[in-house]
Amino acid sequence: MSKTQRLVLTSLFFAIAIILSIIENSLPPLPIAIPGVKFGLSNIAVMYVLFFIGGKQAYAVAVLKAIFVFSTRGWIASILSLAGGLLSVTVMILFMYIFKDKVSYLILSIFGAISHNIGQLVAVSIVYTNLYLLYFFPLLLLTGVMAGIVTSVLLKFIQPAFKRVGFYNSN
Amino acid sequence: MKFFKKTDLIVIIILLIISATVYLTYNYLAQGEEAKAEIYLGSKLMKTVNLSTGENYSFSIPGKENVVFHLYEDGSIAFEKSDCPDQICVNSGKLHIVGQSAACLPNALILKIVPRNGYNNNQNDVVV
Repeated sequence: MSKTQRLVLTSLFFAIAIILSIIENSLPPLPIAIPGVKFGLSNIAVMYVLFFIGGKQAYAVAVLKAIFVFSTRGWIASILSLAGGLLSVTVMILFMYIFKDKVSYLILSIFGAISHNIGQLVAVSIVYTNLYLLYFFPLLLLTGVMAGIVTSVLLKFIQPAFKRVGFYNSN
Repeated sequence: MKFFKKTDLIVIIILLIISATVYLTYNYLAQGEEAKAEIYLGSKLMKTVNLSTGENYSFSIPGKENVVFHLYEDGSIAFEKSDCPDQICVNSGKLHIVGQSAACLPNALILKIVPRNGYNNNQNDVVV
């Protein structure tokens, strides 16, 4: 992939991330409410950037997404988004680095989603007074597993379309 | 890289087991504890509510009259009404176990259930 291609695709994914976060905001809130923590639909876009383009670009999209959230939902939501996005990308990069090709997209997605949730919760407890993280931990694991499964199933469906536009896994 | 491997199932099951274990242990340990509720505006403690008085009433925090809390006879407390768009705080329902919390981020209000005597006090402090 050339530099220009990377740039264009990364910004395309950023646009998708924004659309996903708008869709997510218009959905009814989750029945199991964790303060400030969202399902992280827009994190899907960040994951795909990491899988198909690269780590640096994934961090860039996570930061850009936080800036977008800042302009629409204020600084608290923005810090949550940033904490979730950065931790998620870091954890997934670590997994890819340690396990190389042995790790599957499903596991990457699951741990990406879990760390996204954990990052957000830690940010909430820093911005506000300490919450008892342990109490929310089971819920975070559960929603993380669900979100991870959704992400990788979506990826499975989208993959053929990616291939048609000459867009292969560069890892 | 593959989408899915058979061993992934084991990882998922382990995650679910950890989640269930932590949840059950936590609820078991926290169930019997004496609790009080603390209401924060941002990071400032605005009000402490004793949960075991058996009273039933609604109240608000000064300056935030558009958010109404409710204390129930059974010792649980909830966000009753709020003017926020997402209503996450109201949907959090009744809280009574130590560690539970609900938040209304648009109004910067946090409701937390904490142990009556705080976490660091000497538990053996008995009045003779």
